[in-house]
Amino acid sequence: MEPTMEPAVLPVRAPEPADVPADVPYSFCSQPRSLSSRPKYREQPKAAETEKGPLSYVNIMFDPRVVRGNVLSVRPSPPQVLGFAEVHHATVLLESHSIPSPIPLRLKGRGEHGEKYWPESLHRCIFDQERQSLWKAENMFMCRQLFDFDIEVKPILEVLVGKTVEQALLEVMEEEELAQLWSHQRAFAELRNAEFAELQRLEEQDRRIKEEKERRRLEHLEKLRKQRETAEKIAARAFAQRYLADLIPSVFNNLHDSGFFYDPIERDIETEFLPWLMSEVEETLQKKVLGRTMLDSLIRMVVEKRLDEFSHPPPSAQTNAPSEEPRTADAAPKSGEADAADQPVAEEEETDHPVAEEEETDHPVAEEEETDQPVAEEEEADQPVAEE
Amino acid sequence: MAQPRISAYLPPDIDPTKAALAFGRRALPKLNEELQSAELLTQQRALMALCDLVHDPEKVYQAIALGFLASLKTLLVHQDQTVRQKTTEVLSIMALHSIGREGLIRSGVISALAGLLDDPVDICRKNTHQIFDMLAKLPEGAGGVLQAGLIPPLVLKMQTELDEIQELILGTLSNCLRVEVSEALAAGAVPVLKEKLSHPSTAIRSKAAWVLLEISSHAEGKIEVCKEEVIPVLVSLLEDTQPEVQVSSTGALMFALVTPQGRSSAMGAEAIPPLLTLVAEETSKARLNAIKTLTLLAELPEGRQTLLDHRDTFQRCLDDPSEAVQRAAEIAITVIDWKPSCSRDLF
Repeated sequence: MEPTMEPAVLPVRAPEPADVPADVPYSFCSQPRSLSSRPKYREQPKAAETEKGPLSYVNIMFDPRVVRGNVLSVRPSPPQVLGFAEVHHATVLLESHSIPSPIPLRLKGRGEHGEKYWPESLHRCIFDQERQSLWKAENMFMCRQLFDFDIEVKPILEVLVGKTVEQALLEVMEEEELAQLWSHQRAFAELRNAEFAELQRLEEQDRRIKEEKERRRLEHLEKLRKQRETAEKIAARAFAQRYLADLIPSVFNNLHDSGFFYDPIERDIETEFLPWLMSEVEETLQKKVLGRTMLDSLIRMVVEKRLDEFSHPPPSAQTNAPSEEPRTADAAPKSGEADAADQPVAEEEETDHPVAEEEETDHPVAEEEETDQPVAEEEEADQPVAEE
Repeated sequence: MAQPRISAYLPPDIDPTKAALAFGRRALPKLNEELQSAELLTQQRALMALCDLVHDPEKVYQAIALGFLASLKTLLVHQDQTVRQKTTEVLSIMALHSIGREGLIRSGVISALAGLLDDPVDICRKNTHQIFDMLAKLPEGAGGVLQAGLIPPLVLKMQTELDEIQELILGTLSNCLRVEVSEALAAGAVPVLKEKLSHPSTAIRSKAAWVLLEISSHAEGKIEVCKEEVIPVLVSLLEDTQPEVQVSSTGALMFALVTPQGRSSAMGAEAIPPLLTLVAEETSKARLNAIKTLTLLAELPEGRQTLLDHRDTFQRCLDDPSEAVQRAAEIAITVIDWKPSCSRDLF
């Protein structure tokens, strides 16, 4: 509310005590005056400022603006019921009068809490003073229209502010939480990386040392192997020398024993002369044997002839004659067979066939047997000669 | 008489783009139904409301229990870009909570998101990469990303994407490559990262060095890093002005120098002086990594010779408040003081 009130209506401070005679029983906060009537309709503030018509006077008894207090002894209710709005109102008015001592008014959320902090002495004075000024054209309104904006708006405002602040807090908390998480993670990552690098360094060192160790081990093994080989070679050489020391005598002995070293003349005699001698001897003997064989055959022939002559004197004379011709030393078996064949043919012509055949078959068989036998004997005689 | 409706205009805090939330427990089920409705506007409004709700972990838990992820997965391939953008945003906020992360991994959202890598809208891609980044911080998430075969596409995207998305990709890669590195090496990650080491942005340089750190912690990664001659570049980064870059590059060197070829390459690039400066600084964050790297170099005869002169630097490190630094300094001094026991000993 802006202070646009008329100076006449303003509740001025009590004039200096010097102006007031000391024997007046009480002092007025404002000069007594009669009040003008209340217009029916609320006037605009500007209209009130610019034109002030003549004030009509009204009986104070019927003026609704006068507070009619309780005639009973019960004190009027203390100003707690005065809300936020009135306190605020009062502040504005007081400020406009530039009262030196400021009233510490705090917004405590609810009017009743704030009340404790108000200086007690100023209570009545202010509110009694201001109560009158409150009944002004600007302040008039219909009863039912009254709603205290500040009271009504408080819960809505609280909810709105609360929700916004809650959302904002959530977002801020989120970001804070995240920032903390990342800083934790970063610190951990650094430590982890450092340890991991150390691990890898040691692994690498270990690998190198192992490699080096392996290399040296292999070198050492190689060295041992070479040593061993050399020793073996020396041992083998010594052994071989010893082994082969009596090789040459034994070789020569063996060769000598197997006849490589021979006397040429002796050999010559052995290989050539003696076989020739033996073959010559054999020839000579064979000749002798041949002679004997011939003799044997001659003897047999004669004996056989004599035999035939004694057994079959007439027919055998014809047959024996041609049969004597082909008879030679070597053709003895053939002549025997030809003889046998001629004899049965001659006999078939003369005698009966079956009887003759039988006889002939028996006869040639017998003669064949006989001729076979001497042939066999001749052959047997030949064989021992050949064997010699 | 006071009316609840004070004025004809809606109060300024009610957002017409958001769906009205039902009271209490009914809020999320109703949103779920609205998400599946055929009307575009309803879906959009439901998504906007969901975005706000999902900051609360309890709501996340409830949402996953109600099966929101299935309906969100179908919305990922919607034609409207607002729907896609808001869906990815919801999923990325869900991924900020532990419950959300587990739910996302379990319901196979990773493979569904693989299709969004080529989305024309920047924000969708950014949210997708944010989700991958968050998920990869969990071991199961990193495994999921690897199984979905996302590493080769991510390595390809490194070359074409915007800077902030590149940072997210580098974060994802660093967490995934900690587990397995063969796919990335096959996709040619090391040359790409070598390029990024000279990027003007600090964050990209430090993250690229961190990814190289993770790659070099594997044996085949070390070989590849030596082959591509990344070590001289890392040595030059040791003199960078930003501390994060120094930390990451010393870490990468710490792992890459384990192999003999790496060590000779570093000695060739004269890595010892910058490392000594890093160790000498009392408040350097890279102190621990630098000490470890110098320990590796001290195992070489030339390195030991140089470092014998600077032994007192390590002595001073023994007074560092961090226990890990003290331990590392002790080990370094032991390695420097080692004497061979026979003439043929080198190490």
